[in-house]
Amino acid sequence: MVVQYRIRWWTYLAVTIVGLVILVPFAWMASTALMTTGQTLQVPPTIIPSPFTLDGTLEVFNRLPFGILLSNTIIVSIGRVLGTIVICSMAAYALAIIKVPGANVILLFVLALIMVPGDIFIIPSYSIITSMRLTDTLVALALPSLFDVFGVFLLYQFFRGVPKEMVEAARMDGASHLRILATIVVPIARSGIISLAILTTLAEWKELLWPIVVNRSLDKMTLGPGLALLRGEYTTDWNVLMAAGLLAALPMVIIFLILQKRFIASFARSGLK
Amino acid sequence: MTSTSPLHVEGAGSTPSRRYVRLGSLRWRHASTGYLFLLPLFVGLAVFRIYAFGYNVWLSFTKAGAFGPPRFVGMDNYRRLLSDSQLVVALYNTLKFALIAVPGVVVVSLLCALLMQYRFRGESVFRAIVFLPAVCLPTAIILVFGWLFQTQYGLVNAAVEAVGSSPISWFGSEAGVTTVVSIIVVYLSFSVPAIILYAGMQDIPSDVYEAAMLDGAGPVRRFFSITLPLLTPSLFFVILTSTIGILKLFDTVYILLPPVDHSVATNYGLTLVYYYYYLAFIDAGQRGYAAAVSLFLLALILGVSIVLLRLQRRFVHYGEDG
Repeated sequence: MVVQYRIRWWTYLAVTIVGLVILVPFAWMASTALMTTGQTLQVPPTIIPSPFTLDGTLEVFNRLPFGILLSNTIIVSIGRVLGTIVICSMAAYALAIIKVPGANVILLFVLALIMVPGDIFIIPSYSIITSMRLTDTLVALALPSLFDVFGVFLLYQFFRGVPKEMVEAARMDGASHLRILATIVVPIARSGIISLAILTTLAEWKELLWPIVVNRSLDKMTLGPGLALLRGEYTTDWNVLMAAGLLAALPMVIIFLILQKRFIASFARSGLK
Repeated sequence: MTSTSPLHVEGAGSTPSRRYVRLGSLRWRHASTGYLFLLPLFVGLAVFRIYAFGYNVWLSFTKAGAFGPPRFVGMDNYRRLLSDSQLVVALYNTLKFALIAVPGVVVVSLLCALLMQYRFRGESVFRAIVFLPAVCLPTAIILVFGWLFQTQYGLVNAAVEAVGSSPISWFGSEAGVTTVVSIIVVYLSFSVPAIILYAGMQDIPSDVYEAAMLDGAGPVRRFFSITLPLLTPSLFFVILTSTIGILKLFDTVYILLPPVDHSVATNYGLTLVYYYYYLAFIDAGQRGYAAAVSLFLLALILGVSIVLLRLQRRFVHYGEDG
């Protein structure tokens, strides 16, 4: 623990200023979302919506299949999280608990792959998905990201902390490796699994390039790219755009506020040392 | 930040034969199950990484469009790389955004990390605010900045006019686009570095500070003589990851300057990823060349990473025993 810092008046001043600056875009998004289109086009702009109106918010649903985009995002996120956790935890189990021959070489390979950014593979991945006839499907959105080398490494570090005695005792009782993984290793390494789930969900929400490349129809899009496409068509109705942005951002912000500690721990872990 | 440390702990020094004797045949008996567990990962990586990489390399030696099979053209695409003025624009923009935004990320995240050190009332609220940009949909944030900097009706230009200047065409000039893009990139990416630096500050032993205070060092002196030098491992990690992140910049420029018409304004924000996306999927027919550009970006990212890792040896302080 660091020395207790003395709090002075300027601490509060600095915190307030930094906090407000971060909040300005959100406040302006919320305020614009409640304006009429006419008010957004006033010069000079007014800050408080008058009258308050939900017209912009309702218009979002006319212009965007918002419900479909939201449910697509949720379905793809859940699928991607489950797939990633199954694949990564099995691999991490083989490397950290069974310690297959060559585990070190495999780990080195995994670490090397972490260095290679996925965006480089957009063009070949598109060809692969096309030859699988999977373009314009929800499966296509998640499939290439399931084999997450960072996830393997993250879980590897957690699984190494599982006491050997527990695994060996379970082996004596005749438990299979799959059973040991599910009933002993995963519960002990729970916080690692949760971190991986949170980081994977956020990664899916932030995806833009891959969805616009692999899927063409709006019905098969997630929220981020769906919103980006709305921008192309209706540049002037800023109240509608801001309402859409607010609606799309809200679900994850609410989840974050509920699970704040888990999120922050996960962020800290994304900087593995 | 020694990413290879788990391998050292693993006991990579001992020879394989000795290890297997020590652990008995248990290892071999379970090996088949272990490889079975690794199979899904390996199949996926074989397809989406190894085959994909090979295919990308092969594609870069062909002329490939949206239709018809790719045709082998030898080194043509690489020759074009050397003489492509658009590529120079994209490379210039990408490096420019990185050079401006990376220091921005470091300064803002350092400030937030410092403020998070204090125990004040409402600190959990402050912490939640710091993380909002990291959990909010990037598209929504990019759009609201686009609206803030809108030329005619935007809030920023209203403020500019209120102090008596004439409105700035944010999306019609290189300086304008650079400013807006850099601000957005810093806003979108300072949160995670802030928590990493905060965690790094927690690791600095308190007796170092106590000794400095006894010697009469004030808060500013303590920050520059203790906090910063002892924080260099975390700082290095933050600089490395945000540099790589910004070299891959796409979403901000794509949303701010959509590729509807490949206008001059798009050129101000053209990044390497945006360029090869454009070549491969908008201006179809140039997929082979796009593959060559993507490999160029990979080489750039690896090159920059190696340079940073070299610099790390000189500037990063890992403590007496590390």
